[in-house]
Amino acid sequence: MPFPVSNLTENDRDRDERQIDDRVNETQLIARVIAGDRLAGRTLYDTHAPRVYSLAYRLCGDAEKAREFTQDTFIRAFSRLAQFRGDAAFSTWLHRIVVTVVSNARRSELRMAREVLLDEAHSIEFTAPEAEPDLKESIARAVDNLSEAYRMTLIMHDIEGYTHAEIAGILGVPEGTCKSRLSAARAQLREKLAAFRE
Amino acid sequence: MDDNRFDDVLQDMPRSFNTPPEPPLDEMWTVIEDAHFNAPVPISATRRMTSRAPWLAAAAALIIGIGVGRYLPRNVSSPGNAGTPSAIAAKPASASDTSAVADAYRDQTTRYLGQAAALLVSLPAKDANGRTDAAFASKATDLLVTTRLLIDSPAAVQDPKLHSLLEDLELVLVQIARLRSERNKGDLDLIHQAVEQGDVLSRLNSAVATNQSSE
Repeated sequence: MPFPVSNLTENDRDRDERQIDDRVNETQLIARVIAGDRLAGRTLYDTHAPRVYSLAYRLCGDAEKAREFTQDTFIRAFSRLAQFRGDAAFSTWLHRIVVTVVSNARRSELRMAREVLLDEAHSIEFTAPEAEPDLKESIARAVDNLSEAYRMTLIMHDIEGYTHAEIAGILGVPEGTCKSRLSAARAQLREKLAAFRE
Repeated sequence: MDDNRFDDVLQDMPRSFNTPPEPPLDEMWTVIEDAHFNAPVPISATRRMTSRAPWLAAAAALIIGIGVGRYLPRNVSSPGNAGTPSAIAAKPASASDTSAVADAYRDQTTRYLGQAAALLVSLPAKDANGRTDAAFASKATDLLVTTRLLIDSPAAVQDPKLHSLLEDLELVLVQIARLRSERNKGDLDLIHQAVEQGDVLSRLNSAVATNQSSE
């Protein structure tokens, strides 16, 4: 009986081996952080912090908040490392935490903003019409007005470059849901920007 | 805005929408490091256990105490001195007394280290069934109480190498003790990695050998 011929190229094998090595190294780092090794903690942090910070900033648009969210994410992650089961990649688990941290903060901000708006609605009778916003501002507003799930998916995919598989893992939804959310988010954005004239 | 223009907008968004500045990595790490690594040490599993079941700590202390007592020279508790605390207090500890106590602690420690080594050696590599895990977890829980008592004992306080070994061992035992309730294949892998990285088994064996050779 002939041996089955592998379709894997040398590059595929190298990539797979590198991924396995990374996974093993990361598991060792995690065990060392659990044991209280600061250096291991810093190494783990250096590997993931830039991407976590970048996503936090894209989602909130504020440097100070992004910094707080990133700190909060790592403090929570380190304190729960013993609960990390390795079912998903560590980066997926970490990004799940940052997404939760940012979403919770945003939810409470929106709640507060709504209350302030309701208060102001009673006191303000007349406001001058606002000047026509520029394209950048229009896009920011349009993205901001998307529902949280659509906004998150659009930012992660179209702006931060995450794959559908990564987003699905982080948000805990099937890939198909992720794709349909992106498509709906783009459609809504296009609609909101349709009236914009340059 | 036509379709082409909208596509351009989408393509340009990574550069134009909330473009992140350079992350302040060192500043953020200072806060994280301070919060995580300098935080007050949480009550360890052993301490929680002993506070919930004080009889367990008392029993372990009694066992160690009996062990130590057996090794003490008879003259320490001879009829002439016994029963009169002032007489015991007045009597300065002789070199032989101190050495006897040290011997007793060493013997108890050797016995304990042997049990811990046996537990680690027999720990399954992976895919153990739940019942086996419960047995290991139960044994680890018993050893944890003794570990904490030994960490605080004069034997460990005077021997930094032993102290460090006991602390590493305590961490591993806590992980094994958790197998009972939170079993999964990743936990066992982590335990084996912790044992390997800390070189716990060979340090255990070497500590047992050192203790036995000095008996």
